[in-house]
Amino acid sequence: MKKDETPITRQKFIEELHRYRKGSVTRRHFLGVTGLGTAMAVLGGALPMLRPGPALAGDIGDRVILATWPNYHDVANFDLFRDQTGAAVQVNVFGSNEEMLAKLQAGGSGWDLFVPTNYTLTTYVEADLIEPLDLSKLPNYDAAAFEARFAEAGTVGGKLYAVPKNWGTTGMAWDSGKAKAPFTSWKEFFDVTRTDFSGRTIVHDYQLTTIGSALKYFGYSFNSVDPAELAEAEKLLIEVKPHLFAITSDYQPPMRNGDAWLTMCWTGEGKQLNRDLPEIRFALGKEGGEIWSDYYAIPKNAPHRDAAYALLNFLIDPQVNTREALAHGFPVADARVNAQLPAELLNDPILHPAAELLNALEFGAAATLTDPNRAELMARFKSA
Amino acid sequence: MAISQRMARAILLAPAGLWYAVLLVLPLIVVLVYSFGERGAAGGYAPAFTLAQYANLGARWTAFQNTLLLAPAGTLAALLIAYPLAYFLALRVSARWRTTLLVLVIVPFWTSILIRSYAWIFLLGGRGIPQLLSDLGLGDLRLINTPFAVLLGIVYGYLPLMVFPIYVSLEKLDKRLLEAAGDLGAPPWRSFLQITLPLSLPGVATGSMLVFILLMGEYLIPQMLGGGKVFFVGNALVDLFLQSRNWAFGSALAVTLVAIMLVTVTLYMRFLKRIGAARDDVGLM
Amino acid sequence: MTDATGHHTVSAGEAIAEFVNTSKRFGAVLAADSLNLRIRKGEFLSFLGPSGCGKTTALRMLAGFETPTEGTILIDGRELASEPAYRRPVNMVFQHYALFPHMTVAENVAYGLRQRRPKLPGAEIALRVAKALDTVRLGDFGPRRIWQMSGGQQQRVALARAIVNEPKILLLDEPMAALDAKLRAEMQMELLGLQRSLGITFILVTHDQQEALSMSDRICIMGKGRIMQIGTPRELYDLPANRYVADFVGRANILPARVRATTGARAEVALADGLSVEVTAPFAVPPGAAVEVAIRPEALRLALAPEPGVPAIAATVTHMTFFGEHIEYLLAHPVLGALQVMLPRQAERALPGAGVGAMLHVLWDPGAGLILGQD
Repeated sequence: MKKDETPITRQKFIEELHRYRKGSVTRRHFLGVTGLGTAMAVLGGALPMLRPGPALAGDIGDRVILATWPNYHDVANFDLFRDQTGAAVQVNVFGSNEEMLAKLQAGGSGWDLFVPTNYTLTTYVEADLIEPLDLSKLPNYDAAAFEARFAEAGTVGGKLYAVPKNWGTTGMAWDSGKAKAPFTSWKEFFDVTRTDFSGRTIVHDYQLTTIGSALKYFGYSFNSVDPAELAEAEKLLIEVKPHLFAITSDYQPPMRNGDAWLTMCWTGEGKQLNRDLPEIRFALGKEGGEIWSDYYAIPKNAPHRDAAYALLNFLIDPQVNTREALAHGFPVADARVNAQLPAELLNDPILHPAAELLNALEFGAAATLTDPNRAELMARFKSA
Repeated sequence: MAISQRMARAILLAPAGLWYAVLLVLPLIVVLVYSFGERGAAGGYAPAFTLAQYANLGARWTAFQNTLLLAPAGTLAALLIAYPLAYFLALRVSARWRTTLLVLVIVPFWTSILIRSYAWIFLLGGRGIPQLLSDLGLGDLRLINTPFAVLLGIVYGYLPLMVFPIYVSLEKLDKRLLEAAGDLGAPPWRSFLQITLPLSLPGVATGSMLVFILLMGEYLIPQMLGGGKVFFVGNALVDLFLQSRNWAFGSALAVTLVAIMLVTVTLYMRFLKRIGAARDDVGLM
Repeated sequence: MTDATGHHTVSAGEAIAEFVNTSKRFGAVLAADSLNLRIRKGEFLSFLGPSGCGKTTALRMLAGFETPTEGTILIDGRELASEPAYRRPVNMVFQHYALFPHMTVAENVAYGLRQRRPKLPGAEIALRVAKALDTVRLGDFGPRRIWQMSGGQQQRVALARAIVNEPKILLLDEPMAALDAKLRAEMQMELLGLQRSLGITFILVTHDQQEALSMSDRICIMGKGRIMQIGTPRELYDLPANRYVADFVGRANILPARVRATTGARAEVALADGLSVEVTAPFAVPPGAAVEVAIRPEALRLALAPEPGVPAIAATVTHMTFFGEHIEYLLAHPVLGALQVMLPRQAERALPGAGVGAMLHVLWDPGAGLILGQD
């Protein structure tokens, strides 16, 4: 990506394009965030009914529908699941929790299993959209294997509704070649944006992290719904807006091609950027910020409930989940899996930050997601 | 016979009628009803009868401003580019090349606008055209994520919709009328203004209407080429329905947009009619 | 001025337009082949010929829609070959009228006057438009829309739109082709009256020989891009210069013959069956030359028996067509082939019982028929 001052060659263009694609097909994928992304990928065989199924086929049906995030699985695992059970995994890719919620609220999603983030679970339970899990059908689930903070959101009102999938953080990524000093705080993030990095910074098109990080600038809670605190955050965001490169969750392409120098960034993507372009660094704000945990949950009225349980049980099998983690790279909460992962992955400072940084982080709260004032603030900021 | 004819007509019109009833009228009624409601506690819609959503429209003033500025500007720009192109294709190109060139005008439509917009992100991004310009010593230009980029994307995306109606009206223009005008003493530019242009107005009207209406609801291009900073009403709608899930407010916004479009389109039709009608009134001069 | 024959006469001296070695090539096609023609001021000239003969090309070169490939065109003494149409003092009535559909009748008629620079006062334009519409008897139709007008009315609008400009030459491109027969005859008379009263030079392109013969002062017969003959209708009819003209204008029996002797403007020729007839020789021919002679069907007579001193061809009637005031006979001769003869009704009465199958004598009066030149 660097030091080719000469006009771009044909080959370089193709490379560039590939990177674009690669960059754009990540978690919080653009397609998803913009709402276009009910893009449906059919994995594990487009026409499973035509395939002679193995012996077990009759037990759970021939298909199971999974709603998840982009690049969040090892496709080979789905093939294996189909070969073992006869049920083909059909994957619906989504870009935001809001969109998943909107789809389930509208009814008739047709999903058997989906991947909500921690702060949405109480909303799903209250709206009676997901069902408590029947642990007898999940022999691979071992509550003790999970670090509490990444698993506790799965239990609502004493009932287990969801099991942890992966966790991560939200920090900032920047081009170290352009920065005078490494970024360490959200204060620096917003201040440098208004000076040296004017026109080069990206904030998420996502109220949770964008407003949350602005709140952190003033030292308030990431989850604040206090009107006075939100007003301060809004003032900051509107002041910063003319200096932004973009408001988008599809920040990898401009970071990769050098248009943007600084962005809010989710762990896994920070890792991907840093791996491909070592000059791009990732850090958490020392004031704190978001930590998140994704879960598997089963919607009420899942059309293939048996297959949903079978797939969930299969995916939390430590062997299977290890392969998943190696494929997508996100940190795993399951100690049984971590025991099998290579040390350099577990010691990676981006994926597994130092404890004191991690302790400053907050999980998003359900109220943060549903608070109408925050949603409206974000909209005002965008349309300002 | 009369009955069977009427029945035949009913049968033939039924699919379209049903289509409009189910996919246009019903949703519009739903949206209208929702627009007087409230946001549900966890988002969505809660029944109510309030004008609060309409009272709050000012909160999306910028979106309306951007839309009402860039949609006409985009339409105009598309018109200014499409007209000479259509003119060239209809009147200046030999029949042998015409088909090929017409196909070239449509070819971009064979690819998703999403893919094409990504291409523009690359072209307008720092390593695209700005890099070229700076290599030529033309300074540091920021193109991507600006209103200009959105305008460019809009014009690029909707150009064929403007070119084709104009092309058709120019193509069916009786070329002898131009000879007649020339014969009567009109130099080419005057016969263009007095004959070609007025007679191609139906194409201009159709093209402008198509592009304008689509631009009023445009969402994708501002999202992609505006970097989320150039906000159209369409973007506000997507946010309201998919992000903040305030269906009531979103409905009010949608109803307002539809109303603005209806008014604009009606005024535009009136204006076109008046240009036509004016000639009747002139009578003998 | 009219001459003894009732024909309008034009002094031969003044030329309003002139083709000088004018050629037009479209790719490989030579549409006009070295035309040389002086058009006289005030005359009614027709270009007559079948489609593709070059008549329309000639007209379009005059109008300025086509530029000659070679040679030039003079209009009113000025060389205008490369002058664009809008700067020429000529106006055209188009074949399908080419009226502006988005303008009223009056606006159409006013169009040419409105193009004048410096601009004409509006009042003057209105006055002249009204006068032109009156001239074509459409005085009240000014505010009408073009699509509200019938075909004949549209034709008049087109005419008014052209003459209102008082052009030096009015060009008419098959103006009556789209009208029905009755309307066409009416329009022909009107057009002729208009030409006489306005005194403008009219140039008409037509493929209809009756139209050309009845209206024109002179006709220019065209074929294969060339001018085949120019002359008054009578000259063309009576003295066609070549087979092409003889065949195209009116009908003619064209027979091969050999010259036996010439005396002044007469020649004695032998037909293929050996019969000697006396014909007009418009030009000198050497004895022994092989020629073609043409004779009009109405110049031949039919009789039950030969008349002394008149050469006669014995032939069998194959067809008889009754036209009221005249009858057409088609006869067959073993050597000469088919012969057309046209008799007035009265003459038929002298041939009792001479129906199809009858053997009749075709009488060739001395001096009837003429020797044709090369095409």
